[in-house]
Amino acid sequence: MFAKFKRLWKESPLRSQYDAVIIGGGLHGLATAYYLAKEQGMNRVAVIEKRYIGFGGSGRNTAIVRANQRTKENLPLYAEGLKLWPKLTHELDFNLMFFNCGNLNLAHSEAALGSLRLLVASAQFHGIKSELLDAKQCNELVPILDISDRLTYPIVGGMYHPPGGTLRHDAVVWGLAKGASSLGVHIHQETEVRGIHVEKGKVVSVETDKGTIHTARVLNAAGGYSTLISAMVGIRLPIHVLTIQAMVTQPLKPILHHVVSSGAYHCYANQTLKGEIATGAHMDPWPNYTTQVSARYIKNQAEALTELMPVLKGVKFMRSWAGLADMTPDMAPLIDGNDHIKGYYMDCGWGYFGFKSGAVTGRYMAEFISSGRCPDIFKPFTLRRYEDHRLMGEIASPVNYGPWD
Amino acid sequence: MGLGGTAMSMTITCPICGKRNGYEFRFGGEERGGRPNEEGLTHEQWCDYVHMRANVGGIQEEWWYHRDGCGSWFKIRRNTLTNSEVCHPEKT
Repeated sequence: MFAKFKRLWKESPLRSQYDAVIIGGGLHGLATAYYLAKEQGMNRVAVIEKRYIGFGGSGRNTAIVRANQRTKENLPLYAEGLKLWPKLTHELDFNLMFFNCGNLNLAHSEAALGSLRLLVASAQFHGIKSELLDAKQCNELVPILDISDRLTYPIVGGMYHPPGGTLRHDAVVWGLAKGASSLGVHIHQETEVRGIHVEKGKVVSVETDKGTIHTARVLNAAGGYSTLISAMVGIRLPIHVLTIQAMVTQPLKPILHHVVSSGAYHCYANQTLKGEIATGAHMDPWPNYTTQVSARYIKNQAEALTELMPVLKGVKFMRSWAGLADMTPDMAPLIDGNDHIKGYYMDCGWGYFGFKSGAVTGRYMAEFISSGRCPDIFKPFTLRRYEDHRLMGEIASPVNYGPWD
Repeated sequence: MGLGGTAMSMTITCPICGKRNGYEFRFGGEERGGRPNEEGLTHEQWCDYVHMRANVGGIQEEWWYHRDGCGSWFKIRRNTLTNSEVCHPEKT
C-alpha cells in the first residue's frame, strides 16, 4: 500500500549568492521561504539552520492553534492564520492533521470571567466564533472536568472557541520544507550564522561556518535565539528568553475532546490523536537558553491536571521536554524590516504564540521582503512601538490571571 | 533534548543565607547600569533603558531577590546557556 519513503526535500550545495537568506529553519523561516518562492517569484532563497529543521520551538510546542487573542492588531492576523491550515494541507499535498476540536478556556473567578467576556466580545466583533459558557456548559463539553467546589479554584465558567484545535507540528515543518524545496529553495542544515555584514546601512552578506553568502536581504527568524542574531547587527530587542516545559501522558481511550486551558492553574491539556494527554506549560521566570525540564514542574502539573480532571489520577507521564519562548513585554511579536538597516528583516518575539501564527506570518513576510514595503497588517508590530510607548494590550489576556503570578 | 549532563534544578547563593534552592528567589532582571540622567534624555535612550535587553547567551550579571528567605537584593553571575550560577573570585 505504501511505497518506500523518500526524502521530502533535497540537499543543495551552498551558493555564494542568494536573493534572500533566512536565518532559522523553523516554521516561520520555512513558511517565508515557501511563500517567497510560491507567491513572490523569488526562488534563489536559502534557509540557514544551525541544527536541523524543526529543532527549536517549531518541534517543541504543544501543537495548539487558535485565534482568541485580545487586541485588534493581533486578532485579524491569527484569524487569517487559522484559515490557512486546511488550505496548506492541499497546497503542500501533505497531511498537516488539523484537528478542529475547539478550545475551552476556563475561568476560576469573577474577574477572569469578566476578562473572558471582553475577549468574546472582541472576537465576535472581528467575526471570530467565540462564546461565553457557564460551568455546567463547560462540563457538557468536557464531562471529565470537575465543576464542584472541591477545587482549590472552582470553575465558574469559560470561553469556547470552536475554530481552534490542534495541528501536527512536525508535519507543518516537513510539509513546508517539501513545498519550499520543490520550488527551488535551498535548505542548509547544520550551518551556523557567524555574522551579518552591513555596508553603508545595507545588508551585503552573511557569514556562516560553511562560507560567505552575498545577499541584500536577511530575515531573522531564529525564534528563541533571535536576540543573538540581532546582536550581530547591533539592534537591541525587548526580548527575554524563557524555557517553557510540556509533557505527555501514556495513551488513553478518547476522553478529552477539546483543548482545555486554565490560567489560574497555569495548565492546558488536549488529547492527541494517539491518545496521549499533551499538557503544558510552565515557565521558570528567569532568562534561560537551556531546554531542561524540572521535577518541580512535573509535580505542579500532576496536581493541576488531577484537580481539574480527577479521572486522570494514576495516569503516568511518559516524557517531558522544553523549548524556548522569546518573550516581549506586551506579548506581541516584533515584525520589522528596512529600519536602521536596509535589507535586514525580523520576525521574532512571538513568545509562546509562534506556532499558531507561523504560516500567515510567513506569507506576509514574503510580501514584505520581496516588495520592501511593510504590509498594513504588520505595521502595529514595529520595534519602534516601544519608543513611541504604543505597547499592545495582549498581556492583559486572562491566561495571565492567576494566583501563581 | 536530554538534560545535557547538567543539573536539573538551580541553586543560588544568597550573601546572607548561603546556597539555597533557586525557587526561593525571584529574578530581578539583568544588570543594566543605573537609571539614566533625565536631563537631555532622548526617547531612544529612555526606551533602551526601560525595554531593551541584552538577553545574553552566556554569563551575565543579574539581580535576584530572596523572596522566601531574608529578603535581600543582590547580584550574581549566571550562565544562561547552562542555567547555573557561576562561581568566581571577584566581587559582583
